[in-house]
Amino acid sequence: MSRISERTLEPWEVFRREKEGDPMRHGGSVMAPDAVLAVHYARELYGRRQESAALWVVRRADIHDLSDPDLLQPPLDRSFKKPGGYVMRDKLAAARERSGADTPRPKSARGPRAATDTP
Amino acid sequence: MTAAADLLPATRNALSLLLLSMADDEFVIGFSDSEWTGIAPLLEEDVAMSSLAQDEIGHAQALYRLLAEVVDDGCDADAWAYDRPPDGYYHARLLDHPRGDWADTIVRRYLYDTADAVRLEALAGSTFEPLRDLVGKLRREERYHVMHVTTWFERLASATGEPRRRVLDALERMGPDAGTVLTPLPTELALDMAGILDAPMSELEARWRASLAPAFGALDLPVLPPTHDPGTSRTAHSDAFRRLHAEFTSVRWIDPGAIW
Repeated sequence: MSRISERTLEPWEVFRREKEGDPMRHGGSVMAPDAVLAVHYARELYGRRQESAALWVVRRADIHDLSDPDLLQPPLDRSFKKPGGYVMRDKLAAARERSGADTPRPKSARGPRAATDTP
Repeated sequence: MTAAADLLPATRNALSLLLLSMADDEFVIGFSDSEWTGIAPLLEEDVAMSSLAQDEIGHAQALYRLLAEVVDDGCDADAWAYDRPPDGYYHARLLDHPRGDWADTIVRRYLYDTADAVRLEALAGSTFEPLRDLVGKLRREERYHVMHVTTWFERLASATGEPRRRVLDALERMGPDAGTVLTPLPTELALDMAGILDAPMSELEARWRASLAPAFGALDLPVLPPTHDPGTSRTAHSDAFRRLHAEFTSVRWIDPGAIW
């Protein structure tokens, strides 16, 4: 095969799950002419060293992109939409004392609505 | 059977020859395909082919280690891999064909990997446990190799113009040597009797040819010819192999016995 035309290649985005239970995270991308080879190459570049438990391969052209700063980074002060200002640290410490736990529970044991102690 | 010492001498001898043929096959195709590193048709394929080639070297290493245990004459896996003259290698003549162009490599790998898959399947229930365990692991990796090469073989063969012409040309040159991977081994009767191999090589060759028929029919490719000169299937190697041998032994021979 002398040459594969640039025209036939397109980017595919690769998402990988590092181990069971982890979320899918963006790993990178590969160039391939179609889904079959894109999956082969994703396997070679993001899975051949047993570093992934699962991969998703998505044609970049099929991704709906939103990066408009007017929609995502509006210029006016929106700090009132953030939960800052509610200092949780003391309340958390008191709650822990009541429950007898002196350290935060491990991440895996926390509920979905884990409190934050960042102001 | 869990140890080579449990085997009858004739079985042990036949098993050694089988392991040597398999290890040399994997070693030679691995080294030969590694010549694509840096020059494959596209970057992703460069990584893929280099990784497949590395897998084959890894399979060869595991097979040479088992061979060293079975023969038990003091030679380790590296000595088996690197310290023989070219005529001491026992790989199939199919793998004597040089890397060539991309179509040559894909055709050679397609013919080899499909035949190797049939051979591994016939060893999957082997009575010799260390081989059965190793074959179980090899088959899990070889599954991907067959998927990868089938993808390429089918797309080159079903393309029009140059890719298909090159595939047909490669098949014409390699076709008469394709069956050499499954040419009967001189001592295989002992393997059959010990339950190490589930059928004679001649039957494995028939299984392999039957397995290729649907794909060759669908792609309108000529039926592979019978093996040319089966008596020298694994001996009398080509000049291309002698060059490859000089290359893959060159570092080892700079300082024999050196450790890293």
